[in-house]
Amino acid sequence: MGDEYTGPLERVDAYRWRIPKSYKPGMRVDGIIYADDRLIEHIKSDKSPEQVANVATLPGIVTASLAMPDIHWGYGFCIGGVAATDPEQGGVISPGGVGYDINCGVRLIRTNITLKEAQPLMEKLVDRLFANVPCGVGKGGRIKFKRAELMKLMEEGVPYVLKRGLGWDSDLAATEANGCIKNARPDYVTDHAYERGNDQCGTLGSGNHFMEVQVIDHVDDASTAAALGLHEGNITVMIHSGSRGLGYQVCEDALKELRGVPEKYGISLPDKQLVCAPVRSPEGERYLGAMRAAANFAWCNRQIMTHLARETLAEVFGRPAEQLGMHLVYDVAHNIAKMEPYEVNGERRMLCVHRKGATRAFPPGHPELPQQYQAVGQPVLVPGDMGRFSYVLVGRPEAMEQTFGSCCHGAGRQMSRGAAIRASKGRSIAKELLQRGVIARARGRTGLEEEQPDAYKDVIQVVDVLHNAGISSRVARLRPLGVIKG
Amino acid sequence: MMTKTQRVKPSYELFDHTADMGIRVTAPTMAELVRPASEGLYAVIGQLAPDAAEPARPVNWRLTGAEPAVLLRDYLAELLMLFERDHRIVREPVVAEFAPDRLAVEAQAFKLDQVRSVYQHEVKAVTYHALEIAVIPGGYRATIIVDI
Repeated sequence: MGDEYTGPLERVDAYRWRIPKSYKPGMRVDGIIYADDRLIEHIKSDKSPEQVANVATLPGIVTASLAMPDIHWGYGFCIGGVAATDPEQGGVISPGGVGYDINCGVRLIRTNITLKEAQPLMEKLVDRLFANVPCGVGKGGRIKFKRAELMKLMEEGVPYVLKRGLGWDSDLAATEANGCIKNARPDYVTDHAYERGNDQCGTLGSGNHFMEVQVIDHVDDASTAAALGLHEGNITVMIHSGSRGLGYQVCEDALKELRGVPEKYGISLPDKQLVCAPVRSPEGERYLGAMRAAANFAWCNRQIMTHLARETLAEVFGRPAEQLGMHLVYDVAHNIAKMEPYEVNGERRMLCVHRKGATRAFPPGHPELPQQYQAVGQPVLVPGDMGRFSYVLVGRPEAMEQTFGSCCHGAGRQMSRGAAIRASKGRSIAKELLQRGVIARARGRTGLEEEQPDAYKDVIQVVDVLHNAGISSRVARLRPLGVIKG
Repeated sequence: MMTKTQRVKPSYELFDHTADMGIRVTAPTMAELVRPASEGLYAVIGQLAPDAAEPARPVNWRLTGAEPAVLLRDYLAELLMLFERDHRIVREPVVAEFAPDRLAVEAQAFKLDQVRSVYQHEVKAVTYHALEIAVIPGGYRATIIVDI
């Protein structure tokens, strides 16, 4: 039996496809998938469009159940899914709409180091990053927090770790939500979650998480790139990680606690994995409080790794990080649920926006953006794969009108892990990457094979859909030079 | 003419699932699914070796309030917790009871030998996706997807 989607997909325009709400009983809104003719064929090959339709049944969902072009099959929600619910209309919060890795996200650090200066030191740099940044299964962090400290960290977010000297004041404005979602409730984080993640703040993890040294290879929009401090030929550092074991366990605990809760509130679900609770319910508030604490943990995790990267580059290039111009360009979450105001049918409403494998993409002038990005819009960081490119985009006004200020989050896999390993037989992925000018180090036995470039779609296809649809616009392309993985 | 159905042997196999991995387990009884399911989870994580020099610690779980497939998932989630928090693995778990609404397992938890163990994947979670225990000729088949 095939896993392909066989339901309706109606073309809206060159970059949007509709699953009409008449498709299945219980759909309250349409499903909308962003894709071009090429990508939609791939998207239909799994059940992710069915998941878009399922999400459209959630109580209080507003406008549409959305999916970005990097959509693929997830747990309940598809990866690449966006759903906004209105708490005043019985809207729900669903942990499946956030994912296990709460506030998995990406940050980009720029430098004034040129490719010419970096090239002779690249192998040393990658080796030193590999030694200094804890990564891989079971690796604890270099910076330890006692339980009381971790509780403060989860409540206060990045400002807490800055007080410990693990970053620069300017990092705050360059982090989504200034690195702290308000109303976090560390006291709702269970002992299990605490015990699982207490030594993992400041660790990269495994799977598709990475730290990458890149060069700004091409600039699409020179004035916006300049406003972001990005100049062709300069080196950047990108970090992709999340809330580690603590966040995974917060999700695990919530999925258990919410068993039976939909029935309690008379909510009928087409898929048990969409388990949820009204935002305005004790169960919903409990998950949101714990999720926010895990999100703040994740921002601190990436902040501490930024500190380790700054220390390492300073050591390798023999100049302080400040002299290397290692400013944070931006940090964005792509697995999160946040309360955000939107205009819906001419009415201002505070919505609970779930982004699961989708990045916030606010346009110029949005009040949540820092002063330095008011004129250009929020930087959107879209990692590709370790052999080709990643992209920096900025949000456009159409994102607010169409996607609840959301954009894609990556290339999306096109090969399973097993298939990638099988495709690597008789090859050395490390050598192939080296031939492309990428030095790669990985701790896992098959990490490079599973994460090889061919395992992912070409990110440009994904980025171009949203660029052409007017949701975001391309600013710069980043080419990998060195990567470390767990 | 009636043919006698052969009881399936307890075993597991790993299978592909987009960005993640699946474990397919077969056994002649539900209770006998537990051991190969444990081995399958550990096989996803890597080649895990117990530290012979460290004394084992008895552990037990009494899980209730869900259907059998969810109970098996809950048990595997406990194993994952034990691995991540205590760096311990169980060997030869003994199932005291696997009823439609409860599962009781006892085992010895061994400290991991960090030198001999080879890690392959960080398992974020044992998911509910495509989770099932199905009756098959000669026994049962469990399907579990883990998030990598």
